[in-house]
Amino acid sequence: MRRLHVLALLSLGSIPLTPIAAHHGWAWATGEEFELAGIVKSVRHGNPHGEMQLRATSGEWTVEIGQPWRNAQAGLTAQMLRPGTRLLIHGHRSAKSGERLMKAERIVIAGKSYNLYPDRPS
Amino acid sequence: MLGAIETARPIVALKDSYLAYPLVNTAHIIGIALLFGAIVPLDLRLIGWRSQSEPVDQLSRILLPLAIAGLLIAVPAGLLLFATDARAYAAAPLFQAKMILIALAIANALALRRFGWSGSEPNRPVAFAGAASILLWLGAITCGRLLGYIE
Repeated sequence: MRRLHVLALLSLGSIPLTPIAAHHGWAWATGEEFELAGIVKSVRHGNPHGEMQLRATSGEWTVEIGQPWRNAQAGLTAQMLRPGTRLLIHGHRSAKSGERLMKAERIVIAGKSYNLYPDRPS
Repeated sequence: MLGAIETARPIVALKDSYLAYPLVNTAHIIGIALLFGAIVPLDLRLIGWRSQSEPVDQLSRILLPLAIAGLLIAVPAGLLLFATDARAYAAAPLFQAKMILIALAIANALALRRFGWSGSEPNRPVAFAGAASILLWLGAITCGRLLGYIE
């Protein structure tokens, strides 16, 4: 009987963990899908995560792209994201009003999609 | 010079790695955990907590080497992490604050060793040094963690 109680508590306790784990790293962004088109001004690849400056019509944006592993599994190379490249970024923007910062879920280059987070809708 | 460090082959490899970087990050955390975990019991004892317990120098014999071991793990790992983005870290006020706090914490520890207790029971200056030690290491850890959240 006691073992059943412990099992029940453990399984109930693990329920809230799933949404938290899925939301890791996205808490600072809004929940809505957002897209931004622009030209790469500069980019830094590498850990802890890559970051690029994108020149869009609304101004200059900072776009968080993946860590080396994530970019690679999406099929992206540094060469594909070099300055001067025109791209369309799907992702989530900062929840802070007016802040030109977003996190990329999917990057479209010359009509081809590269998905950084295949298990997230974008 | 910092730019040269950043572009060194092994540092670029670390920056672009899949597993090495997070492992170095982990080593940095383990070193910090060991350092802080060992020094806090000793510092509390210096402040006077559970003073009926074993003599300070006996506690120190066990805890101080472990704290130093923690530092010897955290520092090289930290230097490697720093190197991957040397210019940006060096320019960041939070990073500069962290370095100052670490320097003060080490200086405090050395002063304690030199002028503090010689095996006999601690006194007021020693207790203050113990308190300062906890606050300085807490500050360094906080600055280090905040680096990931505040530009």
